[in-house]
Amino acid sequence: MKKLFIAVLIIAVAAAGGFAQEKVTLTVFNYQQADQAGYAEDVAIWQKFQQDNPDITLNIEVLFNDPYHQKLQAYAAAGTMPDVFYVWPGARSAVIHEKKLAKDLNQLLGAAYLKDFSAAATNPANQLGKYMAMLPQSFTYTSVMYVNKKLLADNGFALPKSYADLKKMVPKLKAKGVAVAMLPNKDAWPMQSCLFSTVVGRMAGDDFMDAILAGKARFTDKPFVSALEVIANMYKDGILSREDVQVGYGEAAGMFASGKAAIYIDGDWRVGAYITDKASGKALIAPGAQESDYALLPFVSIPGEKNPGVLSAVAGTGWAVSASIPAGSAKEKAAVKLIKYLYSPEVQAIRFGTGAYVPTRKGVKAAVEPLVAKVPLFYADNSKTCYVIDGVLDPAVYNVINDGLIAIGLGTKAPAVVAAEVQRAYETWKSTKK
Amino acid sequence: MLQRKHRGIEEGRAYWAMVLPAFLIYVLVMAFPIILSVVLSLSNYDGGKMFGGDAWGFAGLKSYAQVFSDPLFWNALKNNVYIVLISVFGQLPLGFIFAYIIYRKLVKWPGFWQGVLYIPNILSVIVVGLLWQTIFSPNGPIAEFMNTIARAGFQSKLETLFSGAGGFNITDDLVRKMLNLAGPAASQWFTDPVPELKELILSYQGSPHALLINDLCNLFVQKWSPEFLSKPDIAMLPVLFVILWMYTGMYLILFLANMQKIDTQIIEAARIDGATEWQVMRFIIVPALSGTIVNSAILAISGSLSSFALIFAMTGGGPSRVTEILSIYMYNNAFLGRPNLPLANAISLIMVLVSFALIGATKALEKRYGGKEE
Repeated sequence: MKKLFIAVLIIAVAAAGGFAQEKVTLTVFNYQQADQAGYAEDVAIWQKFQQDNPDITLNIEVLFNDPYHQKLQAYAAAGTMPDVFYVWPGARSAVIHEKKLAKDLNQLLGAAYLKDFSAAATNPANQLGKYMAMLPQSFTYTSVMYVNKKLLADNGFALPKSYADLKKMVPKLKAKGVAVAMLPNKDAWPMQSCLFSTVVGRMAGDDFMDAILAGKARFTDKPFVSALEVIANMYKDGILSREDVQVGYGEAAGMFASGKAAIYIDGDWRVGAYITDKASGKALIAPGAQESDYALLPFVSIPGEKNPGVLSAVAGTGWAVSASIPAGSAKEKAAVKLIKYLYSPEVQAIRFGTGAYVPTRKGVKAAVEPLVAKVPLFYADNSKTCYVIDGVLDPAVYNVINDGLIAIGLGTKAPAVVAAEVQRAYETWKSTKK
Repeated sequence: MLQRKHRGIEEGRAYWAMVLPAFLIYVLVMAFPIILSVVLSLSNYDGGKMFGGDAWGFAGLKSYAQVFSDPLFWNALKNNVYIVLISVFGQLPLGFIFAYIIYRKLVKWPGFWQGVLYIPNILSVIVVGLLWQTIFSPNGPIAEFMNTIARAGFQSKLETLFSGAGGFNITDDLVRKMLNLAGPAASQWFTDPVPELKELILSYQGSPHALLINDLCNLFVQKWSPEFLSKPDIAMLPVLFVILWMYTGMYLILFLANMQKIDTQIIEAARIDGATEWQVMRFIIVPALSGTIVNSAILAISGSLSSFALIFAMTGGGPSRVTEILSIYMYNNAFLGRPNLPLANAISLIMVLVSFALIGATKALEKRYGGKEE
């Protein structure tokens, strides 16, 4: 009896051990912080996966901002990458892309799965390593015109389609104490990211920027100088106010909402400034007005543009799977299951609902305010994109562009002078790379 | 002999046991970072293998050459010199004069004035920076005041034009006069200025005259904006003003405290002998406080070269880097964009050397011209 009992015990332990061997442990490196919008929802998302998948144990490490990037670099240097980790498509996670530390999701997830995502998200050209190291959860358009339709209509103007339409608005709107367009540029980066990148895309194109990086073109060439001239003309023609160069980024959203400008130029992320704040229950623009009085439009056509309709955009962040996981292993299968869960319509709808981003997954629906609901429609209507300058150039170069755009805004430097400064900065940077 | 040797070893051990903790802290917190800073400034450190860069090595004076060949460095250095000058030749004399006035009770309620002048010094630097940034902003009170004056003047001239034309009698000539009054920039807003402006004004037919005047003022009165603040050198003026306002009180307290150490009988004797207040200050107070003045100058110089928070909050070094100072220049190279740590460390060392040079000059002047404190 005793021997039978011991035998049963051994078999049970072996069976438990066997079951235990079927349990897979994944290390996850998550980018999150308790004070971020959507934190509680994020916690619930991870908990649900673990409840629904008792055979997969997640060891989740959570960091934010620079500590996250530094730890990821440290993992990369030590050769101990987490199994699933949060990653940027560009230079922010350069080591991952350049050293191919993440699996190619095109092969791992397959074309059948990826067809449910936007073409821009699944285009490897939008990632630094030119392969799908990660799947962007969002695709951020850095250049959107937020238009106060009601204010324009009250003054007898239709929605602007061309530069001439904007210029025509100047006298009448200025007489009413309203700026035609507002773009706060005290912080230097907004003009470059939110308008100038689009203008360069229209006047010069991504091919030109590639040619500059390959040493086959110069910033002093006509395409780039003409892009700077467009910005200079916008100030000269009164479309943009020179005072905006001294307005801080945080101030302008409220000024637009209170009717100080008919158009506000910023990235698509700025919708978050206008919708209801969950803590206070207040919105800069009431949901009713968001629907009826406001529109999101692409920047108008520019005289002499070579690439009509392109808008500056950049792939957003997403998840990657460590390249060191053996192909075909149980761990890889578990990682794929986790990735598919994170990109599932249910999870993406939760993220969309918190206002975190507009998903690249097609057909995701969530209860969002009208202005947020306009964003995916904006994406669908404007599929042609171009580079964001600070995503392709080194800070040593684009900081000079930023400063030059401020000087153009103040009227203290001519476009040709700024172009020459940028070219000098680029040559200096290149010489340090040799 | 053996006993003496044994005692010596014991004393040495006791000495190091007591000194070692503080010495270790000093080495770790003070000495090691300074040495590391010098080493980094002479290297090509790019994050090292730990952070995706190459292994680092000796690069010589490459970073220093890069600093000296960068026009932004010279601009930042120039701005720092301005701050040193306003500190040494603004804060110190003003602080001294205020302290003298309070010490000699030349004003009523000296305690009150002492408090009022010192309060800016105890406010949060960031709060002060943001406060003055708002005051000088295009939407701030100064701009509001200037806009009101400009608008009133323009409105008056506009009314004169209309009364000269006999009321709402819109002719091309009247429109041209308005455009001349508005200035050349205004014409840029129209494709064809005269007919377009005429059409705009005629659209107000039937509307109250005050509305037309109001809207024409909106259109043409150039909003005052501190654009001159974007010009190099002039852009530093508000920063220098705020520095003067904020830190003069600290030197007032320093000088006042030291003045109170002076034997009042010497001053009374001088006054009895017919000395004026100016002579008392010139021949008694200033020589007695020469050491304090030199120490205050050293404090002012070192504080000026290391100042960061106030200017960062007020202007961020902008617009377009015209108000950038050495500490912000170093910060931008160390932490923004792609960090260049060797360059940033080279800048910090140059700042230290400049500081030493200025302090050395101050000490030399004191030796040459200073009086003796009793």
